[in-house]
Amino acid sequence: MNLEFNEDQAMLFETVDSAVGRGYAAGGRAEATGSELGWNDGVWRTLAEMGIAGLTVAGEHGGADAGPVEVYATLEALGKHAAAEPLLDGVFLPSWLIATVGTEQQAKQLLPALAEGTQPAAVAHAEPGRPWNATPSVTATRGGDGSVTLTGVKAPVRHADQASILLVTAADGEGVTGVYVVEAGAHGITRADGRSADWSHASQVTFTDTPATPLGTAGADVTAALRTAFARARVAVLAEAVGLMEAALAHTVEYLKNRKQFGVPLSTFQALVHRASDLYAHVELARSMALWATATVEAADGGADVDLAAIADDAFVFVGDTATTVAEEAVQLHGGIGMTYEAEVAHQAARLTAITESFGGVAAARRRAAASESALQAPSALLNNADAVTA
Amino acid sequence: MDLELSREDIEFRDGLREVFLREIPEEIRRRNSLSRVTRDDIVTTQRILNSHGLAVPHWPVEWGGKDWTPTQSHIYASELQRSSVPQPLAFNVSMVGPIIAEFGTEEQKRTFLPATANLDIWWSQGFSEPEAGSDLASLRTTARREGDSYVLSGQKTWTTLGQYGDWMFVLARTDPDAPRKQQGLSFLLLDMTTPGIERRPITLVDGSAEVNEFFFDNVRVPVENLVGEQNKGWSYAKFLLGNERNGIAQVGTSQRVFADLAEASRGIPTETGTLADDPQFRASMHRSRTTLLALEATQLRVTGASASGKASPVSSLLKMEGTKALQELSKLRKEAASQDGMLLDTETEVASDEASAVAAAQYLNQRKLSIFGGSNEIQRGVIAKTILGL
Repeated sequence: MNLEFNEDQAMLFETVDSAVGRGYAAGGRAEATGSELGWNDGVWRTLAEMGIAGLTVAGEHGGADAGPVEVYATLEALGKHAAAEPLLDGVFLPSWLIATVGTEQQAKQLLPALAEGTQPAAVAHAEPGRPWNATPSVTATRGGDGSVTLTGVKAPVRHADQASILLVTAADGEGVTGVYVVEAGAHGITRADGRSADWSHASQVTFTDTPATPLGTAGADVTAALRTAFARARVAVLAEAVGLMEAALAHTVEYLKNRKQFGVPLSTFQALVHRASDLYAHVELARSMALWATATVEAADGGADVDLAAIADDAFVFVGDTATTVAEEAVQLHGGIGMTYEAEVAHQAARLTAITESFGGVAAARRRAAASESALQAPSALLNNADAVTA
Repeated sequence: MDLELSREDIEFRDGLREVFLREIPEEIRRRNSLSRVTRDDIVTTQRILNSHGLAVPHWPVEWGGKDWTPTQSHIYASELQRSSVPQPLAFNVSMVGPIIAEFGTEEQKRTFLPATANLDIWWSQGFSEPEAGSDLASLRTTARREGDSYVLSGQKTWTTLGQYGDWMFVLARTDPDAPRKQQGLSFLLLDMTTPGIERRPITLVDGSAEVNEFFFDNVRVPVENLVGEQNKGWSYAKFLLGNERNGIAQVGTSQRVFADLAEASRGIPTETGTLADDPQFRASMHRSRTTLLALEATQLRVTGASASGKASPVSSLLKMEGTKALQELSKLRKEAASQDGMLLDTETEVASDEASAVAAAQYLNQRKLSIFGGSNEIQRGVIAKTILGL
């Protein structure tokens, strides 16, 4: 049993850390998200050249065929620098959907471009005013010639302004949920471009009789595959959260050391120091939880019988709650300066806040988890040591 | 990464369970889960464990230790807690034993270690004083050298289970003029039958009588009962801090309490069904469950990363968050019991189930967890200083 990176994984973290760190000096996130692209093009190209974009793509389609621990190492390094490159939303999640839902032909056609990093995709699932796991209100209509068109509204769609294809969830005439591939420039698409609370680019995308291709077999229910892919994404994004939280804590500790009021550094006030200690404890527990969930996904990939969606909800709720606490406390301990767009910690807090509302959000995950059987099952982090012994 | 115990580890675990579940009487384990163990329960348990070589596994091998891997040590602590076996007396096996083994003379080792492992000697801890709690180094009890003896005068307090103590390890001031208060302290072994010792029991908020005060009036301690060097006692006491990392978060205990509460909740009626269906209760339990997962994963990280057994600052995190998790569960248990926990010390048995009847008292008693062994405020200070550099 162990929860450590192996040598290759540790090296992967260091490599991504240094590549991203070079492009993200102070103010890096503000600059990147404020650009037309929405991320740092140099960093993105470097990551793509290193093969990071193809991390989750199978070798036969030009990827590295790497597992959840490599995804963790990469995204924690990204989070450490509050980097905005759309690895998870634009590449990893789309690759999971295409690999599990798409036909062999579609995998061959779509995955190599993802792996090269030349054409990030956008996943259009969320809808205004509707819960994440609801059947989509966007409709897929089949014409007489077998062609399919989509009609309805998706929002927010992250990085829709830069995506070459959109993977859109929609319900067909039978009410069956499917995923549809839509070209970014297709007929009948209108976009209202804006930004997420974390300043990354996001849009509302409206489809009006927009031509689309079913991902996989037309009419097949993809609900289970969707839930698994989103469960993977919920676990993956926690790595980014851990990187962000650690960085926010480090910034806060430095601030407490350097900022003077009443003629002395803030670190002379025990009330503030103890709050930093609590943050450290929270971040370490959250890191443990994120690593544990990652190891569990890895075990599932190796054939272990675990409920990925339940694991993802457990971990997402715990780490998400910590993310909220760290974001709030880091800003509070910085005082007014922490509220400003110029402050690193403000961007970290904003990104952490966006993570807590990603993939359906923490509150919904908590409702599912509390209602599930597992809420009252005695916890055991080790998979083959669960039989709780009682007196 | 790997979330499975190896086959060897499973065999090891099952071997421990064989002893914990079959050799330790069920009655004792049940009383332990209700915080109702007696002195004899603790002695009986430790002697059974010792007869199987399981009382002092982390001592040096020549004195009964096991030279286990970090994983095996983790499994041992976890399984003891999960099966509600009363832990070997910490004062013996985690405190004075390792100190004598490390710093004692050969004579002291021969005299004390086997008897300490078998609980033939019951040790008490003589550290805290009324004016020296978190700030232990400011203690005032003096040990004045007179011929072949130290003469001990002063007062100790919070002496847990001191009413059973045969011997006490005492931290006392041998050099009042030392430049720093940490210097000039010595570590002495005191036979509690020596004249001049007076004990006063302290009753705690839950009614338990587990702690005591001791008064020393010119008590003579033979010089051969000094451990290590005179005036070096502080460094021996510090050797203990962070020495015991396995089990410090008490995750195994919390897992058992969680399982017992989840089971009980299915039989506790509410206005609309049972407590097990109550959304608020389930949300609280889920919170507790995920915290325990995170704590266990942290313990696994520490276990995996530390073959050295050196003190780790992560001990502070585990102690602080582990005790908070256990306290939170004791609060949930009290709320589950509600008024059934509000009738105590009756002369005859009452209708409420045993676990509910003691729930409120246990809740009050468990407040100690975040105070003893370095209060959570002290732990925050340690984290700030040693990890954050604040």
